[in-house]
Amino acid sequence: MNKYLGNKSALALFLLPALLLYSVILIYPVLQTVVRSFYDWDGLSTAAFSGFANYRELFNDPLLSTSLKNGLIFALVLAAFQIGLGTVLALVCANPRTRGRKLLKTAYFIPVVLSVTVVCQLWIAMYDPTNGLVNKLFELLNIPYRQNWLSSPTQSIIAIAFVNAWQFMGYQFSLLYAGVKAVPEDYFEAATIDGCGKWRAHWHVTLPLMRETYKFCFTIAITSGIGAFVQMLIMTNGGPGTTNYTMTFMIYRYAFMESNYGYACAVSVLLVLISLIATVVINKVFDRGQNA
Amino acid sequence: MSPKTFRSIGQFLLQIPLWLYFAVSIYPLFWMISYSLKNNDEIFVTNPFGLPTHFRFENYVNAWTQFNIPRYFWNSFVVSIISTLFILLLALMFAFAVARMQWRFRSAVRTYMLVGMFMPLQVIMIPLALLVRDFHLTNTYGALIIPYIAIGLPFSTMVFYGFLVSIPREIEEAACIDGASIYRLFLGVILPLALPAIATIAIFQFLNNWNEFTLAYILISDENMKTLPLGLLFFQGSYSTDWGAMGAVMTIASLPMVLVYLLLSDQVERAMTVGSAVKG
Repeated sequence: MNKYLGNKSALALFLLPALLLYSVILIYPVLQTVVRSFYDWDGLSTAAFSGFANYRELFNDPLLSTSLKNGLIFALVLAAFQIGLGTVLALVCANPRTRGRKLLKTAYFIPVVLSVTVVCQLWIAMYDPTNGLVNKLFELLNIPYRQNWLSSPTQSIIAIAFVNAWQFMGYQFSLLYAGVKAVPEDYFEAATIDGCGKWRAHWHVTLPLMRETYKFCFTIAITSGIGAFVQMLIMTNGGPGTTNYTMTFMIYRYAFMESNYGYACAVSVLLVLISLIATVVINKVFDRGQNA
Repeated sequence: MSPKTFRSIGQFLLQIPLWLYFAVSIYPLFWMISYSLKNNDEIFVTNPFGLPTHFRFENYVNAWTQFNIPRYFWNSFVVSIISTLFILLLALMFAFAVARMQWRFRSAVRTYMLVGMFMPLQVIMIPLALLVRDFHLTNTYGALIIPYIAIGLPFSTMVFYGFLVSIPREIEEAACIDGASIYRLFLGVILPLALPAIATIAIFQFLNNWNEFTLAYILISDENMKTLPLGLLFFQGSYSTDWGAMGAVMTIASLPMVLVYLLLSDQVERAMTVGSAVKG
């Protein structure tokens, strides 16, 4: 039996294609990025080792603080909208008296399967200052809130983050809904019998039991906020000026527009480190709640 | 008012947020489909919100014949199908070797593959672009297919691994006693057993590859090699005056995935959210 399942040539045939492709296309580039971040390198000529020079330059780069701020705003919009509102919707939807659950879930999920290009183009049209639906709605309701959504240096990042939040709401909703459904109903009923109001019962019973779901949802929301790129590329090209830059946008610009590869690699490394730290912090925060 | 009617009114009020968000989620798409059938006058002035008064299907004819849509569709289809098939094959073979075969370093190799799941695209993007250039793959299908396969592997192998370890040992013993070769065991026994997991991963990877934007944007510049998400990008600038045709292009591009979702909604939702079970 052991000989049968230890067939060396079969083992090689099964393992090597995946392992080889994975190593060359994924692991080798990761190592390259880390190594090259210590080099002055334009992608063509021989790279010159420059120690921490790229990192020193990076920490003085005004684009970095813009990008960090935008990444944070993006992450907060995703977390508040998708997880905050998503939780309320999931709790109400899970209520046994809710009608049309299937229709609701389908409607929430459809934007998830659309191409990000279509969604961004659609929202460019929605945000159009004269003909867009958003301003026309405000006009219809007689609210003097019409504005040029995508060209404001301070607010456009929120408008852009909202597009991502809107598109992937259904994804987070599915996770949260599954999380609510996984909580045994007896727990919730026991709490309401003990005189707890419905929302209080959810707050004290249902939500704490969804810790693992929240860990995953927050990790997704925060890391996709920090790594955001496509929406600003398509909708404003990082502008007005550089006000909508994010770290991925910096990587794109330094590497592919300015051929400053070494420096762009340093931005990549920092981005991964920040994402890792965020993931660890989220895990710690939710695990600490468990012991309390 | 009796407490009962009071409660049912409360129930009704509670449902309002659900249907409000239903409108927020769906109405922009309804608006897009509506304006794909209108002319500019109707979109901007006479009837911005509702259904078109006169269905202008000529927008669709224009969109399909004047722009490169069929080409983008074909490219997306080729890239997504080929990369998905290879992901399924390579990941299942790898998972079989790690989950079922007996050899020394299998847990180390599994961990090595697991690491890739936590690598964001941004950290491989630059060397990958140079690698594609150095292998002279720029502006070929290979420029997308090969990276898509590699990126799809870690996640898919982990899902398959989870599925395969739960199959009872007796299966192999029976196959061994019957004198079936290990290849027969893989193709004739394991593969059919793994079909539910294969379906999940197939949907997940096909959707991901069909909609992938960032790598395609960096690696493809030739108009004839563009996939759908990339091709649509340039309608915005050059044709922004003709909203009807733009809406038609976007509706055509969205239709296949929306139909797939409506037909297989439960499977798609499960496939898209299966990550929470693996990563969480």
